[in-house]
Amino acid sequence: MSTRTRHLLPVVAFLAATFLYAPLNTQAQTSTSQSSTSAHGERWLHVRVISTNSKGETVRVNVPLDLAEKVLPAIDHDRLHNGKVRIGCMDCDGVDVRTLFEAVRTAKDGEYVTVQSNDADVSVMKKDGQMLVHVHDKNKSKDSRIEVKVPMKVVEALLSGSKDELDIAAGLHALASQGDVELVSVKDEDNTIRVWLDSKNVTD
Amino acid sequence: MVLLAKIALGFGATVVMAGAYTFREGLIRVDVDETSGEEHHVHVWVPAAMVPMAMHFVPRSQMLRAGEQSEKFMPLVHAVAKELQNYPEAELVEVHDGEQYVRIRTHNGNLMIDAEEPGQTVHVSCPLATIDDVSRELATLAPAS
Repeated sequence: MSTRTRHLLPVVAFLAATFLYAPLNTQAQTSTSQSSTSAHGERWLHVRVISTNSKGETVRVNVPLDLAEKVLPAIDHDRLHNGKVRIGCMDCDGVDVRTLFEAVRTAKDGEYVTVQSNDADVSVMKKDGQMLVHVHDKNKSKDSRIEVKVPMKVVEALLSGSKDELDIAAGLHALASQGDVELVSVKDEDNTIRVWLDSKNVTD
Repeated sequence: MVLLAKIALGFGATVVMAGAYTFREGLIRVDVDETSGEEHHVHVWVPAAMVPMAMHFVPRSQMLRAGEQSEKFMPLVHAVAKELQNYPEAELVEVHDGEQYVRIRTHNGNLMIDAEEPGQTVHVSCPLATIDDVSRELATLAPAS
């Protein structure tokens, strides 16, 4: 072994060790550059349940929509196959859900159902391509409010499968194309429930 | 003396290389601490790179059996692990229920599960790439349907 080669040996060993450790360094850099806003185009579905009882239960779930969309077809259980769930009653009590949806989809914006009573106020309306359901329950000691917002595109995607099934994967895909939106909000004396969509990978 | 130095250098370089290779894929870490009543502490740290290697030494019949038993859910595990690698830093689930606490997240490309309740804590950390490798290996062993 020549003197020059001998001098090069530690350098080669160092470079080889650096190369092998390289993935660890990359990961460390990734962690330090973590941000609450996810990479461009990522959409996250968040669920938050906060209970105000003595135990103070909280549940926070954050799911990347892209992940859910890709993982769903891998589930083959009971009525769920290939991202689609088979349901037995798309013609519920003589009401054809698809025809009903088609009628609502093509109808103009407006408040379709309004019920006002001593127990509860209920309203169902269509506005800016979204179906909105508001329920104000007056029975409880403290007011209870439920607000549900369903983009029509999502419902359309859900119903895009064959007759007796809901295409959940297509629904998630359609949901991902929506902007930041609060889908479900429930507030009553015990619980606050929120389901919403945004581009952040953490809850606020 | 020079010969000894060469041997030491060769041995040292081999150890460094082997260590680097073994740990480059991260660690599988399981920590269980039980402090209520009789105390139990279990701490297992295994280099993740060893798991796929170790699987090659498991008898074929046992691997086929594992593949058969995990046939139904392994494609799901594989899909989740593969996709989660796109989210190396994410809070997925966090549940507080009184004194009980569960948290599932990804950190530095590892799936981390923390569960705590009075007198017992469990922390599990496993590289997503390893879960992906193992689940893919087991999925290939599942009998064709």
